Amino acid sequence: MAETKNTQLTENPRGSLLHAVLSLIVPGLGQFVAGARSRGISLLLTVLTLFGLSMWTVAQRARFPEYAMATSVYFRIVLACAALLLFLLAIRHLLTRFVLKDPLAETFTMYGVVIVFFVLMVWVGDDILATVVSAEQLSQIHAGTALYSGGALAALWLWQVGDAARVGNTKQLPLNRDGSKRFPTMAGAIVIACLLVFALGYNLTGVDMPKAIREYQDVGILLPRILWPWRAAFAYDQEVFEVVQRIQAPCTDEAAAPPSNPVLDDDPWVSATPTCGELSSRPVTGGLILGTELTITGGNFVPGQEVLIRWANPIGNPFTPRGMGETTIIIDENGEFETKLNIPDAVISPETATGAQVHSLIIRQESVQVFGGRLSNEMQLALIGLLETIMIGLMATFFGIVAAFPLSFLAAKNLMAPIMSAPERIVGNVLGLLAGGWAGLQVTDFVSDRLGGLDQAPVQIFLVGMIAVLGLGYLGLQLGGRLSEALLSRLGKDGGYWAAAGLLAALAGFPGYQMGLGFSRGVRAIVLGAEVAAINEEFYGWIGAVLAAAITLLYLYRKRSTRRVPIGLMLYAVIRTILNVVRSVEALIYAIIAAIWVGLGPFAGTLALTLHTIASLAKLYSEAIESIDPGPLEALDAVGANRLQSIVYAVVPQILPPVISFTVYRWDINVRMSTLLGFVGGGGIGFILLQWIRLYQYEAVGIAVWLIAITVALLDYVSSEIRERFV
Amino acid sequence: MVYPDGTVALRDVSFEVKDGEFLGVIGLSGSGKSTLLRCINRLLEPTSGRIIWNGKDITHLPQGELRTVRREIGMVFQQFNLVKRSSVLTNVLSGRLGYTPPSWALANRFSRQDRQMAVRALERVGIPEKAHNRADELSGGQQQRVGIARALMQEPKMILADEPVASLDPVLAHSILGYLEKLNTEDNITVLCSLHYLDLVQRYCERVIGLRDGKVVFEGSKDDIAKMSDERFREIYGEDAVRMGGQ
Repeated sequence: MAETKNTQLTENPRGSLLHAVLSLIVPGLGQFVAGARSRGISLLLTVLTLFGLSMWTVAQRARFPEYAMATSVYFRIVLACAALLLFLLAIRHLLTRFVLKDPLAETFTMYGVVIVFFVLMVWVGDDILATVVSAEQLSQIHAGTALYSGGALAALWLWQVGDAARVGNTKQLPLNRDGSKRFPTMAGAIVIACLLVFALGYNLTGVDMPKAIREYQDVGILLPRILWPWRAAFAYDQEVFEVVQRIQAPCTDEAAAPPSNPVLDDDPWVSATPTCGELSSRPVTGGLILGTELTITGGNFVPGQEVLIRWANPIGNPFTPRGMGETTIIIDENGEFETKLNIPDAVISPETATGAQVHSLIIRQESVQVFGGRLSNEMQLALIGLLETIMIGLMATFFGIVAAFPLSFLAAKNLMAPIMSAPERIVGNVLGLLAGGWAGLQVTDFVSDRLGGLDQAPVQIFLVGMIAVLGLGYLGLQLGGRLSEALLSRLGKDGGYWAAAGLLAALAGFPGYQMGLGFSRGVRAIVLGAEVAAINEEFYGWIGAVLAAAITLLYLYRKRSTRRVPIGLMLYAVIRTILNVVRSVEALIYAIIAAIWVGLGPFAGTLALTLHTIASLAKLYSEAIESIDPGPLEALDAVGANRLQSIVYAVVPQILPPVISFTVYRWDINVRMSTLLGFVGGGGIGFILLQWIRLYQYEAVGIAVWLIAITVALLDYVSSEIRERFV
Repeated sequence: MVYPDGTVALRDVSFEVKDGEFLGVIGLSGSGKSTLLRCINRLLEPTSGRIIWNGKDITHLPQGELRTVRREIGMVFQQFNLVKRSSVLTNVLSGRLGYTPPSWALANRFSRQDRQMAVRALERVGIPEKAHNRADELSGGQQQRVGIARALMQEPKMILADEPVASLDPVLAHSILGYLEKLNTEDNITVLCSLHYLDLVQRYCERVIGLRDGKVVFEGSKDDIAKMSDERFREIYGEDAVRMGGQ
């Protein structure tokens, strides 16, 4: 049956004109009328959403004062595109009708239309725009966004018109196995919608390839420093030698010229011949008359490195010879050099420049100890930061495991779902838990006083507090449950149940009251103003309390036949929800808050990362628990094992491999995350990295980036090796 | 017994098992054999009806007391239900959990007597040398023997065997059922065993219950099965059934 109808459809693809027209006016209406309700609605929503989105994008970029104007302009653009597309479709229709009668041509000409349409948009798009939009308006909108999104929108509009025609002709639709009509695929619409979103995204993200190529130079300068920053990773001790030869100018008979320095055996030396002569001079007529040429020799310098030849005037100030600059010479392999140099013109005031003056010829070598290098400050800071980073990741993972492992059992559906409890018991559980927790806090307070306060013995008090609150809370939970069950059972079967229901309803009233207050303060205060809302906020608190109590009673009324409440599933749902909410916020955001809470530094990062790690590890662990083989669990139930024993002997051995794998993976993620935490004050290498970025110290940046990359790559390798062992 | 999705797995099933009996339960897949066995030790809670164990109604026992009943009823499963990654010894020892204080589990601790008992149990099923192997290193037949050893640790008065040989080949089937038979005769342990093959039923069971669509459609001794006509046989096993391996 379906087969024959299918062939009919391809042979006679005639559609319903009525439905097509309906969809032309309101997108999706034709489909809706033809019985494809959800198809029609989703098409309408898609077209409206995409139209709104593109229009808003065009208007935003154009900074239109009025959106109405933008709408009309954009609408005209869409119409123009639709007209162009219709024109192409008409040509295709004629072509397939009279020229290409091959059925394959149906498909291929459709590709042709799409390609030609796109090419026209690219090459003559501006002309199309110019015909429907005035030059002034054109200058105000982003032509690219308008054109491409408009083209896609027109295509989508026309597609759903054609679709309405096909869907509307219900007789030709093939049937599903169950007899319902099978509607044609919506792949076309989905592809067009994706293209539209792509066009919008292209413009919104400001993709600009030419700019990326044109302005490569900017990054080209600093890239090498980031990519190979190791010169800045090491600092070298410098050795500075300075030897002086005195030169007298001019040579006179009254004063003997200074002696040439002797050649020394071990220490660097320099000597010049002659040791007196004429200064260079600059006559008024211009030019430079060179002074006496000196032959300068020296030795015992560090071979292969340069020496600087400088001058100092008679009163000891070094100066740079005008017109000659500083002279540098490379020392030969024997540690010696020989050069010739003219005496420069000294800048000496004419009054003092009388008689013979003694100048100094200074040879200075700043030698670098190549093999005596040590880590530069930047490198040291980066290494310390890196260590801190790894430790942040490690601590967060450690705390995460400790908290997430027990939590994960409460978040595993297969373990929690069978837990049913009677309301008689739950009343006692809740009250006992609260009482136990309170008692634990009292114990903690007492111990804290004895030990001299939190600042005196923080670790002891923290441990005592944890054990006291958790232990007494659990004790209260157990004892309270048994006590209330025993007490309420005296009221008879029904009496006990309804008494428990009443008590639970009363208990639910407390959070209900708080939620009512919250509604008043959070929602009513926005509408009415905080002062007005505060006047009768208690009233809303009571409404909340009554509502919560009523819901509890109603629920327990509906459970009256089995007298059992799926408390396990409720706990599971609550814990899963909390975990999902906590996990959906990035650790970076927590770090911002933690940095305010405990101050900048690694502790803030650890705190933030721990929170996120607990949530995600608990989720991963609980999924591992959910996917265990239920067989051993059943076997242990049959043996008479209690819950704790089942978990230790049936669940834990099964989840160990995935748990180890997830934990190592999480540690890997945590270290990677903690490199960034410093950006928002969470300590670690990110903290100094951000400073270096802001100081344009790109070599230091490069060092940090390299260290991070090496660590992450190593960790990645190690973590995948470990995980392979355990899967 | 009605499942939460409304499937009625068992209806009006009523029968009695005497101490020391070897009772077979036969029927097609989905006829309610597994459900029946699991209702007895309340792995599944029956929606109505009563379970009487040693003259005591255990249908509504609270969890704590149920534990003391369950530990006297061993169970052997089609898929063995061993913890594959744990050692054979640990798997066998876990049969003792109904007797050990729960908090000991945190320290993974069993008493010396329990350990010796586990070794003896393994000796009884003939694989003492495998005690320290991982459970999944064993063959199917060996794994089922570990399952029996685990049940033995409970010092059971009764063993529920849910198709204990359906995952094993016929030669091993005889070996496993042989162990169950030995426990039945030597230790006077009651055995409730669901089986597929009639020749196995004839060979091992003293009495047989036939289930079809959750109802008891047959009850009789093994002589009754031997004498059973093909029509009767089809009533239990449906139209397409063919006798296999029988005489």
